[in-house]
Amino acid sequence: MLQKMIKPMSFFLVFSFLLLDFSVQAAKAQMIDTSTVIATQKQDASRERVAAFLGRDDVQQVMVQHGVDAAEAQKRVASLSDAELAKISQAMDQLPAGGDGGIGTIIGAAVFIFVVLLITDIVGLTHVFSFVNHKR
Amino acid sequence: MIVGLLFLALPIFLSGCGILSTERLPQAPGGPPKAMVAKVPFFAQEELQCGPAALAMALNWSGVVVKPSDLTPEVFTPGLEGSLQSALIGATRRHGRVAYPITGSESLLAEVAAGHPVIVLVNLGLSWYPKWHYAVVIGFDQERDEVILHSGLTANEHLKSGVFLNTWQRGEYWGLLILPPNRLPNKVEEGAWLEAVAGLEKTGQWRGAAIGYATAQKRWPQSFGASMGLGNSRYSQHDFPGAAEAFRRATLLEPKNGMAFNNLAQVLAEQGKRKEALAAAQRAVELGGPLLENFRKTLEEIKKKPDSKNSRKRGK
Repeated sequence: MLQKMIKPMSFFLVFSFLLLDFSVQAAKAQMIDTSTVIATQKQDASRERVAAFLGRDDVQQVMVQHGVDAAEAQKRVASLSDAELAKISQAMDQLPAGGDGGIGTIIGAAVFIFVVLLITDIVGLTHVFSFVNHKR
Repeated sequence: MIVGLLFLALPIFLSGCGILSTERLPQAPGGPPKAMVAKVPFFAQEELQCGPAALAMALNWSGVVVKPSDLTPEVFTPGLEGSLQSALIGATRRHGRVAYPITGSESLLAEVAAGHPVIVLVNLGLSWYPKWHYAVVIGFDQERDEVILHSGLTANEHLKSGVFLNTWQRGEYWGLLILPPNRLPNKVEEGAWLEAVAGLEKTGQWRGAAIGYATAQKRWPQSFGASMGLGNSRYSQHDFPGAAEAFRRATLLEPKNGMAFNNLAQVLAEQGKRKEALAAAQRAVELGGPLLENFRKTLEEIKKKPDSKNSRKRGK
């Protein structure tokens, strides 16, 4: 079940990373427009959100299991680009809100671990996709 | 005949995927068991014109008098034989209304209960109708397990919730609220509302945008984005005192954010308050951040600008 879920999920996420928009907003002189203001606020929010996520006990546990130094992970998240952070924040949105027992919980756990590893992979502390292959 | 049988078989395959939605509407906690939005006019759609028809119903409800045929050039894409969701959103903004997307049946029930009709994208795919279809949900009845819609050629169509949810699920539970800028959705999120209002700015609907931001400010008095948006949309309407007030408020909300000081400086400069403008621009540069280059330019341009007394002398 776990492997079955992880494979399509990883393809989906890899694909969504390919769609990342790396275009830099041209700096316009004078007034900062509202869209820029909102985008900046959103970025700050996802930065805080990811940091808070990595601070959670269960997340730290998963990180420890995979030999990830939690403090180092936090530091690296701080150096991520806004686009990368937005993507991570989106991945976190896909986490199931709460297990209702049975299959839901198992999938929930798999996705949860996947997201943790996704983040630590992005910051260069693990290699999620080799982990997936390794398991098979 | 064989094709027909295949179509009948399809739902079975779909349910085999285990992603078939729940058969009943969720019980909205604290919500009413049934609701009906009053005064949603009905326009029977012409062929392929469900997009313009659904949008016209929602726009008229929101106070914009418009016929589906007026909307066709704005939303309909002949090559696709349909209307894209983004086109509905764009057209809504052009008419000075806020387009606020929602998703899922809980939000749907909450909005209808609050008296807001919801445009939904459903996929009728398995019948002989065109596959993609826009309809307007105007009511629901938990007891009879029904959803009530204006759809296609039928006004007040009563659909079993299960049927509706299955077709809506294939539309990924996409719904759209069309609201006057002074009316917040029932279940509203600050960032999403601000983004929706910023869409009005993009189409030059400054007055509507200003109202939308003012409404946000009332609901979330601490919102930096609402103050900034209010300032920007007032500035675009050449209401400089109003803009200055909004940007000042933003500087108080986030005293470490250069963006508010930058925009305040610009407005003060336009008002001829050169000294205050310079101070604000200087502050923005001191605070820095990713937009530092922009702040520097503002400061330089204000420095270059002769103060109002001199310019008057030179003018005469």
